[in-house]
Amino acid sequence: MRSIALGSVLLAALLSWWVLRADVGPATGTGYTLTVHCAAGIKGPVTRAAKEYEQQFGNRVELTFGGSGALLSALTVRNHGDIYIAGDDSYVSDAKQRGLVAEILALASMRPVIAVRSGNPKNITSYRDLLRLDVRTGLGNPEAAAVGKIAKRVATDLGFWDQLRDKVTVMKPTVNDLGNDLQIGTIDAAVIWDATVRQYENLEIIEDPQLSRQARNVTLGVLRCTTQPRPALHFARYLAAHDRGLLVFSAEGFTPIDGDEWADVPQLELMSGAMLRPAIDSTVTAFEQREGVRVNRVYNGCGILVSQMKTGSIPDAYFSCDQTFLDQVQDRFQDGVTVTANDVVMLLRKGNPKNIAKLRDLLRPGVRVGLGHPEKSALGALTTGLLSRTGHLDNLKASGNVVVESATGDLLVNQITAGSLDVVLVYRSNTAHVGERCEVAPIQEATSQARQPFAIAKDSAHPHLMRRLLDTLRGADSRRRFEELGFHWRDGERPK
Amino acid sequence: MSILLDKVSIRAGDFGVDGLTMDISTGSYAVLMGRTGCGKTTLIETLCGLRPLAGGRIVLCGTDVSELRPADRGIGYVPQDGALFPTMTVHDQIAFPLRIRKLAPDAIESRVSELSSLLGLSKLLDRLPAGLSGGERQRTALGRALSFHPRVLLLDEPLSALDDETREEVHGVLSDINRHTSVTTLHITHNRADTEALADVVHILSPSGIDPSDP
Amino acid sequence: MTTAPHRARADTAFLAALFVFLGLYVALIVAMLVADASFTSPADLWEAIRSDEIQSAAVLSLVTATLSAILSVWFAVPIGYVMTRFSFRGRALLDAVLDIPIVLPPMVIGLSLLILFSTPIGRAIESVVPITYQKPSIVLAQFAVACAFAVRTMIVTFQQIDVRHEHVALTVGCSRGQAFRHVVLPQVRRGMLSAFLLAWARALGEFGPILVFSGAMRMRTEVLPTTVFLELSVGRIDAAVAVSLLMVAAALIVLWIGRSFGLGRIGQ
Repeated sequence: MRSIALGSVLLAALLSWWVLRADVGPATGTGYTLTVHCAAGIKGPVTRAAKEYEQQFGNRVELTFGGSGALLSALTVRNHGDIYIAGDDSYVSDAKQRGLVAEILALASMRPVIAVRSGNPKNITSYRDLLRLDVRTGLGNPEAAAVGKIAKRVATDLGFWDQLRDKVTVMKPTVNDLGNDLQIGTIDAAVIWDATVRQYENLEIIEDPQLSRQARNVTLGVLRCTTQPRPALHFARYLAAHDRGLLVFSAEGFTPIDGDEWADVPQLELMSGAMLRPAIDSTVTAFEQREGVRVNRVYNGCGILVSQMKTGSIPDAYFSCDQTFLDQVQDRFQDGVTVTANDVVMLLRKGNPKNIAKLRDLLRPGVRVGLGHPEKSALGALTTGLLSRTGHLDNLKASGNVVVESATGDLLVNQITAGSLDVVLVYRSNTAHVGERCEVAPIQEATSQARQPFAIAKDSAHPHLMRRLLDTLRGADSRRRFEELGFHWRDGERPK
Repeated sequence: MSILLDKVSIRAGDFGVDGLTMDISTGSYAVLMGRTGCGKTTLIETLCGLRPLAGGRIVLCGTDVSELRPADRGIGYVPQDGALFPTMTVHDQIAFPLRIRKLAPDAIESRVSELSSLLGLSKLLDRLPAGLSGGERQRTALGRALSFHPRVLLLDEPLSALDDETREEVHGVLSDINRHTSVTTLHITHNRADTEALADVVHILSPSGIDPSDP
Repeated sequence: MTTAPHRARADTAFLAALFVFLGLYVALIVAMLVADASFTSPADLWEAIRSDEIQSAAVLSLVTATLSAILSVWFAVPIGYVMTRFSFRGRALLDAVLDIPIVLPPMVIGLSLLILFSTPIGRAIESVVPITYQKPSIVLAQFAVACAFAVRTMIVTFQQIDVRHEHVALTVGCSRGQAFRHVVLPQVRRGMLSAFLLAWARALGEFGPILVFSGAMRMRTEVLPTTVFLELSVGRIDAAVAVSLLMVAAALIVLWIGRSFGLGRIGQ
């Protein structure tokens, strides 16, 4: 007896250990070295944040600095490293267009200002004052530094670029060089970032409205050529977290964006219509792997999901079967982005023994019909709408032919495949795997199409991460999966 | 070593008897008789502490055991049919009370062989209860009840299921034990033959109480 | 006067009737399996066995079912003992409460667990051990139901054990715990095995609560019944049937071995 008790305890302990440890989630681990190409103007906050990160996680972050443009040129020539942080989002978008960058994370904003020594000894009040002969001016090199490019554009718009260029005392590749020169006294004024000015003790900001309007976002791009995407994204998320990296940016005088909350392995919840499962499940899993996060997926009929949401359990994002369901909970979500559309079609038994061709044929005696449940699922709601528009709804209900109303389309597909129904109205995507057992027939009398929007919760702690998930779902691989299943691609239209 | 019942009340569901008084002197063999259903088994169970005492006192060998748990009363109890533990060998049944008392293994072994010779069980030590005859079972139950030198021995109809020959055999064993160990014994039965063979003193249990009778 | 010696009626009719009942029910079970088999093929079965997802689901199923069954028996033994040896006010009500997991629809159980773990108490537990949508939730969901079956079995088992053995043990010097351990437990070994097998079989087949409480995530909280569901949800009936038949085979083997090893069923 004792041996049974002991044996069972040991076995239970062993199995419990297996069950508990098996799911720690995608850990990032330690011991990675990340190479970060960083614009000189943001050297301060990035260095500090990177040091904090190194101390907490034991990964090394090697920073190389330069002007945003210079770094980009270098990357174009020699593509290596993990992350590129520019002082201006246009460089990162450019990099993305050239195929160098995968994910983009906005960090903070800064605006160009005129920097002078404290006390403003030369009494400079506007950008134009830099043309004065008694003011020695420094500018960022327009090819190398983001702020230089902006200075040039504003001056051009105001009509004095050529003049300024000719009289400028010095052009430097980075804003820190200009700051140093100012401090030393070799120049009297320079156009640099407000954040850079705040890094120096005895420099002062003079705002020029034309310049201030040119605020830019400090933006991070994860390089496509990285060999360690998960650690790179781990660090990127750290920098972009409102309670970690962005605090450092804030302390150094930048205006941070409203970033995600920090979590080592963020746990996210995605609610999705059941019919989307075959299309998105592997995409979401791949996203999890790359980002090092966990996305718990809850698939169900949209009616059921919406009732759950109304009781208060709001996920981080909702990928709905149809806009009408998102409308019911729209107040909790940002506007949805329509990703795909799905037709409602008729699915018939092989050989179509009852000879069904039109919706009217569903009313014939002896025809066993299966429909989506009108409240629980978008499919049902759409089907009811379709039948009502074509004038068949009441007759069909009266005929008693509707044998079953299902919460999801796949149940209907199983039932007709097993031979217990003659016709079901389901999404085209539900019919992807029926092979030869059934036939698909389009509905001729009217079209009924569901549009699938993806919406991020207003109160989610990780909206930017969910936005990246959306971007992944709208990527080429995902699109192919959708289209193979019979979805129509909509590529991000806003709902009408 | 004596058994004293002082105005004891017993209960079993709706059934109850009050005012039971009985005094059995040390070392004597008392037989308690009564009609079927008059409460003999209930009385024994109450004496053991397996049923709550509804009134009065029970004193064993000068100790008031009325509030004590069965394990603390020092009673050797042999129920009807012996009620041997089905999964233990004869050896283990007799050794069991001694193991619970944490006796040293040699002490246990010597006590077991002593009792098994006294009861004629030496050849049966490895048998399970299913492999024993009626008489062998009763003897094993006796061995188990006696192993720890109880103050009193309570026997509930120990002989009712046995044939005449076996009954005589067990009679012999019981007298031997009584002479040998001088343990006070209360033997409950409805069979007159037992009283003739064994009893020093006879009591009758009836709804009005316990009264002595002639053996 | 002598009467003709009495001859009892022939037994044939009675025995035939018995075997008709047996035959019909067995025929139903076998017919379902044969119908399943007609929807699949050896190739499908082989593909199913080779698939990574199904292998991982099979391992998870076996591990969780075994763990749940062990836990169920650990709880069912003391509960069964209490319910049969102690009488107290409200025992009948408690008995009914113990049957609730058997009576409730599986999805209600899953939903209740889900809601429980989003209350403050539940969240406190989750801060130490993550449960919802993770593997431990499977064990919890299975245990919630399987234990009720194990308890039923153990109650019946304990009822069949004579109380007098314990009484004797008490008089012989045991505390109640010692009497339980040395005298009662050895007698319930077969009952415990029966309870374990029943709980194991129930846990293996558990699906509804797991779907709601653990989610149905491929390779993560996917047990074999979930696999069947997931295959059905993409219309792959042949794959679903293949996995179902694998489950039937696994359960048959374990139960057959378990029952023969345990030398028969309860009541021996």
